Amino acid sequence: MKKSGVFFFALLAAALLFAKPGRAEWTGLHGFAEQAFGLRLNDDKLTKRKTYNMLEQRLQLKSSYVFSQGPLSRWQGFFQWKGDFTLDEYFGEKTDFELREAFLNLNPEPFLDMKVGRQVLTWGTGDYLFINDVFPKDYVSFYIGRDDEYLKKPSDALRLSFYPQPANVDIVISRFAPNDMPEGDRLSFFDPFQGQIAGRTVDRVLLEPSRQAENLEYAGRIYRNFASTEAALYVFRGFDKIARSYKNEALRQLYYERQDVFGASLRGPFGGGVASVEGAYVRSPEDPHGDNRLIENSMVKLMAGYEKDLGGDLKIGFQYYYEQKLDYGAYARSLQPGDFLWDEHRHLLTQRLTKLFKGQTVAVSLFNFYSPSDHDGYLRLSVSYDLSDRWKLVAGANLPWGEDDWTEFGQMKKNKNIYFRARLSF
Amino acid sequence: MKKILTAMALFLAAAMPALGQTADELALKASEMAYYQGKDGKSGVSLVVTDARGRTRRRDMTILRYDIQDNGEQKYYVYFHKPSDVKGTAYVVWKHAGKDDDRWLYLPALDLIRRVAASDKRSSFVGTTFTYEDISGRSPDRDHHELLEAEGDFHVLKNTPKDAGQVEFASYKVWVDKNTFIPMKAEYYDASGKAYRLIEVLEVEDIQGHKTIVKMKATDRNSGSSTIADFKDVVYDIGLKADIFTERYLRNPPRQWIKEGP
Repeated sequence: MKKSGVFFFALLAAALLFAKPGRAEWTGLHGFAEQAFGLRLNDDKLTKRKTYNMLEQRLQLKSSYVFSQGPLSRWQGFFQWKGDFTLDEYFGEKTDFELREAFLNLNPEPFLDMKVGRQVLTWGTGDYLFINDVFPKDYVSFYIGRDDEYLKKPSDALRLSFYPQPANVDIVISRFAPNDMPEGDRLSFFDPFQGQIAGRTVDRVLLEPSRQAENLEYAGRIYRNFASTEAALYVFRGFDKIARSYKNEALRQLYYERQDVFGASLRGPFGGGVASVEGAYVRSPEDPHGDNRLIENSMVKLMAGYEKDLGGDLKIGFQYYYEQKLDYGAYARSLQPGDFLWDEHRHLLTQRLTKLFKGQTVAVSLFNFYSPSDHDGYLRLSVSYDLSDRWKLVAGANLPWGEDDWTEFGQMKKNKNIYFRARLSF
Repeated sequence: MKKILTAMALFLAAAMPALGQTADELALKASEMAYYQGKDGKSGVSLVVTDARGRTRRRDMTILRYDIQDNGEQKYYVYFHKPSDVKGTAYVVWKHAGKDDDRWLYLPALDLIRRVAASDKRSSFVGTTFTYEDISGRSPDRDHHELLEAEGDFHVLKNTPKDAGQVEFASYKVWVDKNTFIPMKAEYYDASGKAYRLIEVLEVEDIQGHKTIVKMKATDRNSGSSTIADFKDVVYDIGLKADIFTERYLRNPPRQWIKEGP
């Protein structure tokens, strides 16, 4: 267990001891215990374990404390925390503790909410696709079949939410946290240094921005409703969450280049369903003209989605996503012999189908990514069964594929898996 | 003075059938009594589902309601307390007359506000034997109403959907209490005339002068499941504001009204 975990629990135990009994300021302790197992469908000799990629036990605990006296009570203050203990057989029974939430929520003025501490942040309109949601994600969890909750990584942040008329404003100041991406030991992926799909032999360094005030990230959103339609404008100043740019090729150093995002979205009812559009200009301030071969270019990202309830607990959804690398000519001209030439355009389609059975206790879900431009895709299937209010069983499959080794889903093709999870909630 | 007016209104309403109250007026009145009393309201709700094999599941929630217009636009806020895997999930509905409702769902673990495509109001409400329409009301103008012969203390209304393609039933009958105008029983029939679904009011209480349903039961004879709904701590006219039913309070439940239990 990490030291921070021990420290946190000592603090929590102390707080519980000093909280006067009978006041019921601590809400009860809730959470779940889960056993998860994920079997590889094809042996992958590249990774640490060739027959499975998940075998773990997890205990999640959460609680909150409502302040009933003092200034924090006048500000309707409450503190909420949530943490996961894991025993990970994949890494030789490694124990770990991850603090997923620990924040103080305050309402100091009628028009202002404040949330400070570790928290999960989400906005935007996509379904498994993100344009203006620039907050950290965990794609390792996504590909091995953990619960959707783990796709979102928490941020250490201050969130200020203003509610004046006529529009609401969110301002988030956060410390940089990268996406968790496949790194070779659990999931193989395309390593540009080796020019092929690689696993444990991956030998590269990902350099994170140093922890200093000038490297804080700023995200903002202005949103309001026009009758049933939700409109939002977004702005972000921070870093790419994936290390895509080269600091030093010879030393195999990649880093998270600076990124600014200016975007907008609309979502509302249409034709008996819900339609949404979202787009952004993603600026790469370290390579403004796109002529530096080592740094990611600016981009334009657009998507449109539609979801409909067909009745009988059957829902379908479709999304189209488009991405264009800007200054492509300058980028192509800057390349040196042996460099990889990435495509200018990317088109991606997704389909979702969800059907519930047996009094909504059985959920069958299919989510498919397909890119006609990259000739790759990723099919996600799952069946979940609520055995009772406490027990839930889930079985699913993650099936990425692709003609080439270097596309987003193609590089994951050796990681096909089926997984099982049993969860007891309390 | 207000009480006298209410009493007069009740008296007039009670006298109306004798004066030739139409089926449409009766359907409106019953809808108002079941779903629109007071300007707003709060209720704790527990739903216990029993399936054909006798296994039970339980959902506990707090529901806040805000009326914009009687028998018209309404807003609902639903906060889930139990089961523990959905604790903290919140749900907002803007109920519209004449077009699809707007629904938003907040999933706290993902900090995600999902817009819910919800054209099917006949689907099960959170896995119970109740439908969304049983909980938030079916607009009377979606059906043709016909007054059948009264049975004892009840007016009997036969309702036939105007758009049969939108619903799973061919028709349904409602037994409306002659004194309170509360719809005390509803029976749903399929195309063959079989009564496959039943909603019964089990208890009515007087709360702040409003006759209020505090216990009801839905039975689905096809699946063999039933659900009992208990409404606890019902309060009317608590002064809710429309802004409760927005994204702000989906993310941050209004603690003034929604108390976290252990």
